Amino acid sequence: MTSLGSSSSPSTEYTVRVPKNTNKKYSIMGFNSGDKVNCSAWTQARMERDMSARRIYGEEESVDGAAGSEFGKKQREESRRKKYGIVKREFKVEDQPWILKVNGKAGKRFKGLKKGSVTENASYYIFTQCPDGAFEAFPVNGWYNFVPQAKHRTLTAEEAEEEWGRRNKVVNHFSIMLQRRFREQEHGCDDDDDDNEKGGKKKKKGGRGGDLRITDLEEDLEMSSSDSNSSNGDDGESKPKKKKETGKGKGKKKKKKSSDKEALEDSDDGDNEGLEVDYMSDESSSDEEPEKGKMSKGEDHPKGIDEASESEEESEEEKQNEEETKEEEEEEEAKTKTPAPAEKKKKKDSSGESETSDDSDIEGETASALFMKKRTPPKRGGRGSAGSSKAGSRPGTPSIDSAATSNTLRAAASKLEQGKRPPPGPSTDSPAAKRLKMEPSSQSPVPSGKSTPQPPPGKSTPSSSDVQLTEEAVRRYLIRKPMTTKDLLKKFQTKRTGLSSEQTVNVLAQILKRLNPERKNVNDKMHFYLTE
Amino acid sequence: MSNKTEINLTGVKQSQTVWLVKVPKYLSHQWDKASEKGEVGKITIGKKQGKTEVSFRLNVELTTMGAVGEKDGSVLVPRDHPFTMQTVGGQTLAVYSQSDSDGISLEGMVVHRAECRPVVNDNYMKLKKLQLQESTKPQRLSQQLEKAVTTIFKPVANHDFNLEHDKKKKSEGKMVRAERQVVLDMCFSAFEKHQYYNIKDLVDITKQPVTYLKEIMRDIGTYNSKGAHKSTWELKPEYRHYQSAEEEEEEMQTA
Repeated sequence: MTSLGSSSSPSTEYTVRVPKNTNKKYSIMGFNSGDKVNCSAWTQARMERDMSARRIYGEEESVDGAAGSEFGKKQREESRRKKYGIVKREFKVEDQPWILKVNGKAGKRFKGLKKGSVTENASYYIFTQCPDGAFEAFPVNGWYNFVPQAKHRTLTAEEAEEEWGRRNKVVNHFSIMLQRRFREQEHGCDDDDDDNEKGGKKKKKGGRGGDLRITDLEEDLEMSSSDSNSSNGDDGESKPKKKKETGKGKGKKKKKKSSDKEALEDSDDGDNEGLEVDYMSDESSSDEEPEKGKMSKGEDHPKGIDEASESEEESEEEKQNEEETKEEEEEEEAKTKTPAPAEKKKKKDSSGESETSDDSDIEGETASALFMKKRTPPKRGGRGSAGSSKAGSRPGTPSIDSAATSNTLRAAASKLEQGKRPPPGPSTDSPAAKRLKMEPSSQSPVPSGKSTPQPPPGKSTPSSSDVQLTEEAVRRYLIRKPMTTKDLLKKFQTKRTGLSSEQTVNVLAQILKRLNPERKNVNDKMHFYLTE
Repeated sequence: MSNKTEINLTGVKQSQTVWLVKVPKYLSHQWDKASEKGEVGKITIGKKQGKTEVSFRLNVELTTMGAVGEKDGSVLVPRDHPFTMQTVGGQTLAVYSQSDSDGISLEGMVVHRAECRPVVNDNYMKLKKLQLQESTKPQRLSQQLEKAVTTIFKPVANHDFNLEHDKKKKSEGKMVRAERQVVLDMCFSAFEKHQYYNIKDLVDITKQPVTYLKEIMRDIGTYNSKGAHKSTWELKPEYRHYQSAEEEEEEMQTA
């Protein structure tokens, strides 16, 4: 036990003892050096085991002999586990993590997780030097790595991913948590979660916490409408029961400028997903891009549509289809915008503070209302989907889909016909076979926009193709040889004349009445014929 | 139920410093064989050409492997172990001790890490070879038997268990139908204890023939063919009066 004196070599010898009688179990508490933990600076520390895993591992059925239980359930469960060889992991207290609290309530918190298999292959010993110079070695029982626990709020994984996507755009990072808090409150107050989330998402983009916005469209709208909005928006943000300093709110004014630049957004990945694309067109993608650019500029919309309708007259069907899909999108946005202003209003009322935000609200509303008005007249021609219009808060995707498909179908049909003969005008479009029930009313404007420079043919106008169901044609046939009505009908196939079978029959009957051909019975069938 | 223990910070306040030494298993094994005093060897700390050299020398009596007192002369545990010293590096390591009586106390901070390495010589190689052989042995071993085992299972005309069963059946006789009211009372008291019962279990409890019991159950209960409590009988709603605590408990069960 005594340390031997140093010999001639400059080394000192110490005895090493491994005490046997100690009842103390030694463990290692490891901290990351980046956390800069100085244990000697601690005034007070408490440590306890984290037992939260017990209820996962422990017995789940605490009910014994009460209602809802089965007779012999426990035994059955046990035998079942044995049969399948399911071995439950025991809940060992020594393996549970530690929770270390330093310096009381206001101090730091650490969670210590046990490091596995420290004692398996090599043993660790703690060598301490005793006052008498000898070393004492104690074996290490466990190693726990302590990590500091965050007391501040953090984003969840999904939110973090979103923010990561916006990291290049958002300049003011303080607003991120601000909006998250705001959104959490909203989830508490409002019932309409969908809209909230939508609004929340868009909120983050421009960083305007107070205003619910569904699309960037609104953002542009409000930007362009007035600058007083910015101050209103700020008030709106700081309003909803937040204890944030106004300094942060002021910071947002600066950020507004940056969000101005945000207005021109790149198309994200998922943006093109819901769009209806006409697969027969060749130039789909190239056409969509510039039109999308057109869309993002607020005031260009009415003009854009007018332009579109003008160009429709000249352009081919393909382009027009894409534009229609664009219009559908706009309409969708317009539809979703109406619930948005309604939402906004509701929220503002609930917080009930400054009126300035109300003003901004109303401005937003009127702007959007204007939009609606401007948009719907030209749109009415484009879409008769009255059923799914402004009423619902859901975007009218079902109607839009069917409308789109109807368009594409019609486009397909008319294209086919184009090869054979110039497509008929509106009057004959309506009786066309491909007409869908969805749009009875809007037939006339649509084809008028839709139709290319073809003459509006009627039944009476002779056309270049000889399949028209005209008197002349019938006369020719009957002169050539006697035919039954069936044969005649076969000659005027509905596909080629563009009439429905009923119509064909009627028209044919009328023609025959006028011609008054002679009758002959051949093979028990009534044949008509004419002699000139 | 958490017992928060106040950590005794005296050690760390006094800036107690310790070394964390990694010791090979065989050496720690030898240390376990040490005497009551606990002396296991000597450490020499010297300076050679400016570098600190630490070496540990195992006591002679601990060099023999095998139980204390035995002399296993074949393989000796090496005696000299130089320590390789390392800095603590990217971690701040503290040592705390836990005891049943005194609670948790922070003993000190680790200032040096060391690895205890043996001097590599033939003896050590032999030791390692032995260790390897030990570790490569499979845990399970198939052994071939010379003769078939005849002691455990013998073909029997009728097993004991079966005989007992038959005897029991004979003694008890067939289950007699008791009075309907009696059976009903038994059922109700059973259902007071549990909500769902298998028909077999009910037969066991009431000792009634199955058909009779089924008839009665059809009167007062319903049969669950699907759902959580499959193929079980439960009382009809009008007959039961479980409190709303039942719902809480059901929730607890499903949670």
